[in-house]
Amino acid sequence: MSVRLGIMSFAHLHADFYATAISGLDDVELVGVWDDNPKRGEDAAARYGTEFFAKPEELFAPVNELQGVIVTSENVHHKRDVLAACKAGVDILCEKPISTNIRDARVMIDECERAGVQLMIAFPCRYSPAFLRLRDLVSGGELGEIVCIKGTNRGQNPGGWFTDPSLSGGGSAIDHTVHVVDVIRALLGEEVTKVYAEMDTVFDPDLPAEDAAILTMNFDGGTVVTLDASWSRPANYPTWGDVTMTLIGTKGNASADLFVEHVDTWRAGDGTFLWEPYGHDANADLIADFARCVESGAPVPITGYDGLKAMEVALGAYRADQTGEPVGLPLV
Amino acid sequence: MLSVAICGAGGLGRRHAENFRLIPDTQVTLIHDAVPEAASALADQLGARVAGSESEVFGDDIDIVVIATPTPLHAYYTIKAAEAGKHVFCEKPMCRTLAQGEEMLAAVEEASVTFMVGHVLRLFPQYARAHDLIVAGEIGEVGVARTSRINTMPSGRGSWFQDYALSGGVTLDMTIHDFDWLLWTFGPAERVYSVGAHQHMPLLDYALTTIRFESGAIAHAEGSWADTGAFRTSFDIAGSKGLLRHDSTQMATLTVQRRGVQEGVAGVQVPESPAARSPYMMEDEHFVECVLSGDEPSITGREALEAVRLALAALESNEAAGKVVEL
Repeated sequence: MSVRLGIMSFAHLHADFYATAISGLDDVELVGVWDDNPKRGEDAAARYGTEFFAKPEELFAPVNELQGVIVTSENVHHKRDVLAACKAGVDILCEKPISTNIRDARVMIDECERAGVQLMIAFPCRYSPAFLRLRDLVSGGELGEIVCIKGTNRGQNPGGWFTDPSLSGGGSAIDHTVHVVDVIRALLGEEVTKVYAEMDTVFDPDLPAEDAAILTMNFDGGTVVTLDASWSRPANYPTWGDVTMTLIGTKGNASADLFVEHVDTWRAGDGTFLWEPYGHDANADLIADFARCVESGAPVPITGYDGLKAMEVALGAYRADQTGEPVGLPLV
Repeated sequence: MLSVAICGAGGLGRRHAENFRLIPDTQVTLIHDAVPEAASALADQLGARVAGSESEVFGDDIDIVVIATPTPLHAYYTIKAAEAGKHVFCEKPMCRTLAQGEEMLAAVEEASVTFMVGHVLRLFPQYARAHDLIVAGEIGEVGVARTSRINTMPSGRGSWFQDYALSGGVTLDMTIHDFDWLLWTFGPAERVYSVGAHQHMPLLDYALTTIRFESGAIAHAEGSWADTGAFRTSFDIAGSKGLLRHDSTQMATLTVQRRGVQEGVAGVQVPESPAARSPYMMEDEHFVECVLSGDEPSITGREALEAVRLALAALESNEAAGKVVEL
């Protein structure tokens, strides 16, 4: 008997990663797709050989015996879709960021708890082999006390609704802050107490949101961190971007470049140079782990609270950029 | 023939002494160092004499004073040399405090002598090329300029680098190269925010500094005296029309492996990028040209002081643990 999952919306391009991951897992089945954009949903359903449902209720119909859903709608719609799944009593894997404001995130977390369904946030970097090794090094004390971390999560401008703050909640900062903040929270077991940010709209001056952002954060154990959360990679960059971390410890340093594994590839035909990635597919591990928790009832390893705390840093960064001063966290 | 006195016979003093020996218009006459053995080792090699007392540096037979002492002494030697009518080449950072820097500028201006600070990074071909490309608008408006300068904790004689009060740590001593290059390329800085770990000196020093320029560009400068490997630098400068990137570890034109150099180690690998013309030689030649012509060096004292101002602002932000320092 396989774990029966659905996907709510293919608005986010990661939905394709997750659907592909499900296809590759023997004991997980994609039961169906709902999307508020029928064309997009029908195309996706056809692509993955599954059924399209025009309404969420149809996806949640008892006959489908759905056990969990993956919410990959536009950020602002996460709340709508999570609450629908919550009402239907199925566990949820929600794309990051959890939402676009604290209030929505709290409602999502509280409602899921009340309904007894699990809410997991999709932070696949937690399953990166380099991150897992780094976590062992840090927890084993091999680097000593971690005093500074330099992080980057740079990318190309994803375009579409990502650049429409009314759907995404912002620009590159809300898109790219949460991954690195989440993995550092997981590494250190600490929270951000202060955030400062410089932001601007430069790479595409017509964008209604920031595409350049440098954050500086203080964690409660004393570690100081900077993060480049910019859409600063040009359109002809050979890969989508990066997630990197350099840790400076009193006993040693470590640098992780989670998505660096690639073969340089020149195609003479169309004149392109691209990175062909060969690294471990962390998305597959994320989906497998979610399915395991759905099936066994084991607590999900990345909770709605984790999603809230990561998003809160991005929201604090926006406030810091507006006020020109560091902002204390948690936000009140 | 211009007669050169070298103050400070450490690593950089030696490098400049060797350069001035090769420049046709100069000869190295005098070596001065607080440690007589260090001075005589270099003097013997160059056929120069060791200063019996400090006053010889400012004597009538000296035209140029090269200052490669620990940072807090730069102001003292510069002012004394200028007052004696000597041209001054001073290593970076120009000074430990802004007050020192202003006194230095007043002294060299009053004496009408040539004064140049060793911001040699501008003459490194990859940094010169990147500067030219940016200024020519090749990558459009710059959004995020990232620089890295990474080294081990310098030991140096007497370990004065490890004394934060003397050296100002990695930020004032080393990241100042990038600060100068950024100011040269992007113009005046508006504000700075920095975090770091100089409280862990002499074990390590490390700082991450965000700078906002009046032009709008955001820079992020990494300075590390926390590394265990070979010295390395990189930059990644993203603009509206393109991206510039350089990583010194990827650009070695020559790598040499020596078998059996160390007991129990298979070999030692030393990558290098030999230059036809050393940037250090180019800066010394430029300085001599300016002394001879009376032109102002392309790296001005005022610019060098602005780099110090930025570095000190970063240190102030860092020490205040979360202060945005306006410039």
